Amino acid sequence: MMSLPFFGLFAAFCLAWAERRAAAVALWAASMLALLLLFRSHATDSLALSF
Amino acid sequence: MAKTPICRTLNGIGLLAVSLVLAAAFFEQLVHGDIPCPLCILQRAGFAGVALGLALNLRCGPRPSHYGIAILSALIGGSISARQVLLHIAPGDAGYGGTLLGLHLYSWALLLFFVIVAGCAFLLLFDRQFDEAGAPQSRLPALGLAVLALAALLVLGNGISTVLECGGGLCPDNPVDYQLLR
Repeated sequence: MMSLPFFGLFAAFCLAWAERRAAAVALWAASMLALLLLFRSHATDSLALSF
Repeated sequence: MAKTPICRTLNGIGLLAVSLVLAAAFFEQLVHGDIPCPLCILQRAGFAGVALGLALNLRCGPRPSHYGIAILSALIGGSISARQVLLHIAPGDAGYGGTLLGLHLYSWALLLFFVIVAGCAFLLLFDRQFDEAGAPQSRLPALGLAVLALAALLVLGNGISTVLECGGGLCPDNPVDYQLLR
């Protein structure tokens, strides 16, 4: 699941290579959404504080 | 020989620099055995997003939206880096992974994302690069295509590496090996 942004962005690179700009931008947006959702699941990790 | 616009050259240099960052992270992972943590992987995806914005400038011509893609990707990646810095800022915490010149890789990532945002903002100041938006672009030199291919392959490599490390689910917080290579 955590590899989804990379594969989405790789596909966007392929589309950019083929000069299909709009599709590349759409895939970038989907990849960033996936990245944010994955970040959300890890950003709430507790701080390892010890006093 | 057609003259290469300066902004295209700068975008190419930027794309090469971001590719080198991804390659250096791979070097740490494969040579020094520094297996990336989940937040490290997500930061790499942020760099990959930046690379795509610069690649679009190279391949399809410069547009403000392409710089926007790079800046937004850098802001997301920078937020993830900042979160990881805050996670390890507690007294006595040695941080995650190795260091480079005294800073952990996620601290370097935060600095680099800041530099990327500043660099893109600087390039946006050159309005003349957008004057020919929509006009046919001159062919991208072979070196530019090579840099674009290198960046794309590094992004694919990160995807494959992440599958090997985490399988089909979320990565463990402190990974010690590759789940699919056990």
